Amino acid sequence: MAKLSQINTVKQVNENQCQSCMPLGGVVAFKGIENTMVLVHGSQGCSTYMRLMNVEHYNEPVDIASSALNEKQTIHGGEANLKKALDNVSRVYAPKVIGVLTTCLAETMGEDMDRILRDYRKERVTSGIDIIQVPTPSYGGSHTEGFWAATKAIIAYYARPTEEHKQINIIIPHISPADIREIKRIFDLFGLTYTLLPDYSMTLDRPYGGRYQKIPPGGTQTQDIARMSGARATIQFGLTCPDNLSPGLLLNQEYGVPLYNLPLPIGLQNMDRLVETLEKLSGRSLPDVIRQERGWLLDGMADSHKFNADGRPIVYGEPELVYAFSSICVENGAAPVVIASGTRNSLLMGLLGTLLADVDEHPVVLEETDFAAIDDAGVLTGANIAIGHSGGKFLTERRGIPLVRVGFPIHDRTGGQRVLSAGYTGTLAFLDRFTNALLETKYESYRELRKEEMGIKEGV
Amino acid sequence: MAEIDGTIEEMLLPYPEMVKKNRKKHLIVKDEAAACCPQIEANTRTIPGIISQRGCAYAGCKGVVVGPIKDMITITHGPVGCGYYTWGTRRNKARADDTTPPEKIYSTLCFTTDMQEPDIVFGGEKKLAKMIDEVVAAFHPRAINICATCPVGLIGDDISAVGKAAQERHGISVIAYNCEGYKGVSQSAGHHIANNKIMENVIGTGSERKPGTYVINILGEYNIGGDGWELERILKEIGYTVNCVLPGDSSYLDIKTLHLADLNLVQCHRSINYIAEMMETKYGIPWLKVNFIGVESTIESLRRMARCFDDDPLEEQTEIVIARETARIFPVMEQYRKICQGKTAFLFGGGSRAHHYRHLLADLGIEVSVAGYEFAHRDDYEGREVIPTIKTDADSKNIPELHVTADPILYRDAHTRLNMSREKFEELSSRVQLGYYEGLYPHLKDGHIMVDDYNNHETEEMIRALKPDIVFTGIKDKYITHKQGVPAKQLHAYDYSGPYAGFNGAIIFARDVANALSTPAWKMVTPPWDNYDNAQGSEDNA
Repeated sequence: MAKLSQINTVKQVNENQCQSCMPLGGVVAFKGIENTMVLVHGSQGCSTYMRLMNVEHYNEPVDIASSALNEKQTIHGGEANLKKALDNVSRVYAPKVIGVLTTCLAETMGEDMDRILRDYRKERVTSGIDIIQVPTPSYGGSHTEGFWAATKAIIAYYARPTEEHKQINIIIPHISPADIREIKRIFDLFGLTYTLLPDYSMTLDRPYGGRYQKIPPGGTQTQDIARMSGARATIQFGLTCPDNLSPGLLLNQEYGVPLYNLPLPIGLQNMDRLVETLEKLSGRSLPDVIRQERGWLLDGMADSHKFNADGRPIVYGEPELVYAFSSICVENGAAPVVIASGTRNSLLMGLLGTLLADVDEHPVVLEETDFAAIDDAGVLTGANIAIGHSGGKFLTERRGIPLVRVGFPIHDRTGGQRVLSAGYTGTLAFLDRFTNALLETKYESYRELRKEEMGIKEGV
Repeated sequence: MAEIDGTIEEMLLPYPEMVKKNRKKHLIVKDEAAACCPQIEANTRTIPGIISQRGCAYAGCKGVVVGPIKDMITITHGPVGCGYYTWGTRRNKARADDTTPPEKIYSTLCFTTDMQEPDIVFGGEKKLAKMIDEVVAAFHPRAINICATCPVGLIGDDISAVGKAAQERHGISVIAYNCEGYKGVSQSAGHHIANNKIMENVIGTGSERKPGTYVINILGEYNIGGDGWELERILKEIGYTVNCVLPGDSSYLDIKTLHLADLNLVQCHRSINYIAEMMETKYGIPWLKVNFIGVESTIESLRRMARCFDDDPLEEQTEIVIARETARIFPVMEQYRKICQGKTAFLFGGGSRAHHYRHLLADLGIEVSVAGYEFAHRDDYEGREVIPTIKTDADSKNIPELHVTADPILYRDAHTRLNMSREKFEELSSRVQLGYYEGLYPHLKDGHIMVDDYNNHETEEMIRALKPDIVFTGIKDKYITHKQGVPAKQLHAYDYSGPYAGFNGAIIFARDVANALSTPAWKMVTPPWDNYDNAQGSEDNA
C-alpha cells in the first residue's frame, strides 16, 4: 500500500479535523433504545455542542441532558450534580433508560462513575430506571468508537443467559435512518425475525404528525436486547470494529451466539454477502423482489461504467462507511485514489489490502488524518470526486472537487437522515448520485476542453 | 395576568420542588402597573439535567469572540471535539481588504492539538509548543490565539507560559485564553475572558489612525450573514470611518488601533460591554448602545450617533441617507408586512437578540409575547442601573476582573474625542445617554413573559399554551417548534440567510419571515381523508 512520504510526515497540528469526539457517537447509539434519555456528565457546553451537531444532521429534536459541571465541581467532584441531573431527567422526561456518557472533563477529574451510580441506585430504589454508564472521554477515541462502546455497553447491561430462540441479532454501525429501514426491509423479505440494535430509524427520523413527545416513540426494546444472548446468530456490520469494542464478539464469547461479521450491505458484492448469509439462515432462496433489485443495480452499473471509469475518488469518514464506499468505487471501475479516516484503532487498514489487491494504482491511505492531509493527497493524486460527510466541503470550495455527501455529519445540505445507500436499491441510488456528480463536471467543461484541444475559439 | 401566571404554574408542574422554586425566579411577567422591573435571577448556575440552551466558556471565548478575528490563527488546545464543534458553526463572515489578503484569512480553518490519552497523562504543553511552531512555519500568521478546553485546566498545562515562550521564539503575539468549559455558568464567562485578553494584549498596540473626521468602532457585531457589512455600507455613506467591527470581519491589525476611534458603538451589550467600559476608563472613548436591527431602531441609532458629534453636515447627511433608504425599502417591506401583520412570536436569543429583533418584528406588525435569553445578566434585562446591586457569587469571582486605569499618554477626555467643549458634552449627555443600556424589560408589554436561561421543556409548554405563529430561536429547539406545527426561524445562523441588520437586512428578514408564515406545508398537516367522515356525513344527509 502506497503511503506518500510528503503527506505522512508526523505532525502535531490537526488542521480541519475529519472526526469528532467520542460521546457524540455514544449519544446516537442511545437514541436507538426505546424510551431512553441521554445524560452527558461534563460541562454544559459538551451536551449543547452534541445537540447542535445531531440536530443539524438529523433535522429532528435531539435532547441531551448535562450535569452542567462548574469550576467548583472540578475540585469537589461532580457527584451531587450528576445525581440532581438524573433526578430532573427522570421527572421531566420519565424515561425507562438513561444512558450516562462521560466527557474528557469527568474522566480527567477521575469521577468514580461505578460508585456514584451504585449509590444513586440504592438511594432511588423505586425509580425503576435503568442507568447505563459508558466512559467516553474525547481523548479516548472518535465518535465511531463512542458509538461502538455505547452499543456494547447496552448489550452488556441487559444480556443474561436466556433460552435459545429463532431470532437473529443485527448490530449496525453509525448509518442513516434510511439505511436502517432498508436493512430491516431486506430481513423482513427473507421472513426472518430479528432484534436490530441500535434502532434509531424512527427516533431520529420521525414522520410528522401527532402530539409532540419529548422522547420520540421507537427504538430497540430493552426486553428484546435482554434476549439477544439466546439468538441463533448475530449479524454485525462491523468489519472495522476493534475486538475490544465489538458488541457481536461480546455476545459470541459470553453467550456463544455465532457471529457473522459482515461489511455493510453497501456495494453489490457486499450486499451479495448479506444475501448469502440470509439464505443460509432463513433456509429460503432470494426473494424475487431482491433479485430484481440486483438486476436493476447491475443494469445501472453497466450503463454508467463508461462515466465511472473517469472517477478518481477520495473516500473519507468513519471506517465502516469508508470500507463500504471504497468497495462500490472498486467494483465500478473508479478505484479510490485517496482513502482516509480521522479515526484510529480501526481494522480498516488490514481490510483495504484485500479490497485493493487487483487495483492498478494504489491509493494514498491516511489514518488518524485531517482535511489538510486529505487535501494535499487529493491534489497529488489528481482526485476529481469525493465521498464523505460535510467536513469535506472544503475540497469543493478550494479545489472544485464535487462532494457526494454520505455519512455523518451532513450539516450543509438537508436530508442527512434520509441518505440511502444500503441494499441493492440504496447502492444504485448512491451510484447514480456518484455518476451524476461526475457528469455534472463533464458537461460543464467538456466542450471547452475539446475546443482547447482542437484550437477552436468559436462554436458551441 | 392570572391566566399567564396559571400557564407558568402548569409549565413548572413536572419539575421537582427545588427546581420549580429556582426556575420561578428566572421568569418574569411584565406588569405595567408595577413601578419598576422586578428582579430577575440571571447568570446563575444552570440546573443539571434541565435541557438548557447554554454553552460553555470555551464556546463564548473561541466560538464567539476570538474565533472570528480573521487574520489570527486560533488553536484549540484539547481533545478533538471542542474544535470541531466551533468550526464554522457561527457563520461569521470575513473578506479580504487592503491590509488582509485572502491568504491571511484563517477564520474558516480549524486547528486543534487533538489531545490523546498520553497527553492527558503526561501533559500537552510540548505538543502545543510544537504545534505553534508548525503553524507559524506553514502560515506565518500575524498573531495566534490559544484557547483552553476543560481537561487542560485540570491537568495544569500552563498555556500562558507556552504562549509566552512561543511569542519570544517567533516574534509574534501569542495570546492564551484560560476559557476552560467549566468556568463560569455559560458562554458569558468566555466573553469576559476574551474581552480581558484582547484589552490587555491587543488594543492600544497600533498607532495609525484611519483617516476621517468621525472615526468609530462597532463593538459586539458578529457579521453573521454579512450584518456588519451592511452597517459599514450605511455608515460610510453618511460619512463615518468604520475603524473596526469587533469581532465580525475584524483583523488583528484593526483591533490594535481600536483606541484611535472617537466613539464606540455597542451592538451586543452582553458580550462586549467589558471592552467598551475598559476603553472608556483607559482611553476616554465614550460608548453608545445602538441597535441596528429593525428599520425604526436603525434610524434612531443613526440619529443618536450623529448627535454625539454635534455637527450639522453630519446630521444632514444622516437624514439624507435615512430618507433615501426608507423610500427605497418601505414599499418592499409593505408587501411582507401584509402577511406578517397581527401575528405573534416568541423571541429567544443569547444575550441581546431577544431585545434587538423585537423592533424589527414591530416594524412588520408582529408582537413578541415571550422573550428569553440564554446567558444574559441582570443588567441586560433590567438596565445598567442594577449593576451595583448584582451580588458576585463564586462563579463570577472565578473570572478575573481586569482593572484598568487612565492611560498617561493615550487618555483623552470624551468631549475632546468628540471634538466639542466640556459644556457642550454635558449638554449632549443629557440628550443622548452615553455608556448606558436600559435592558429588555422596558420594551415588553403588559402580560408578556421574560425568561432567563430558557429550556426545551418550557419552550415546548409555552408554545402549547400560547400558540405563537412563529418562534425565533436557535437550531437546538427549532425542530421542537416545527413538530408542534409552528414555523421556527434561526436567529443565530439565520438559516443560511442574512444579512438581517440595517436597511437591506430588514427586507431580507421580512421576506424570510413572510416565507415561513406562508409556507403551504403547514396547511397540509391534516390529510384530506381525515375530513371524509364529516364531509361524508353531510353528503349522506343531503
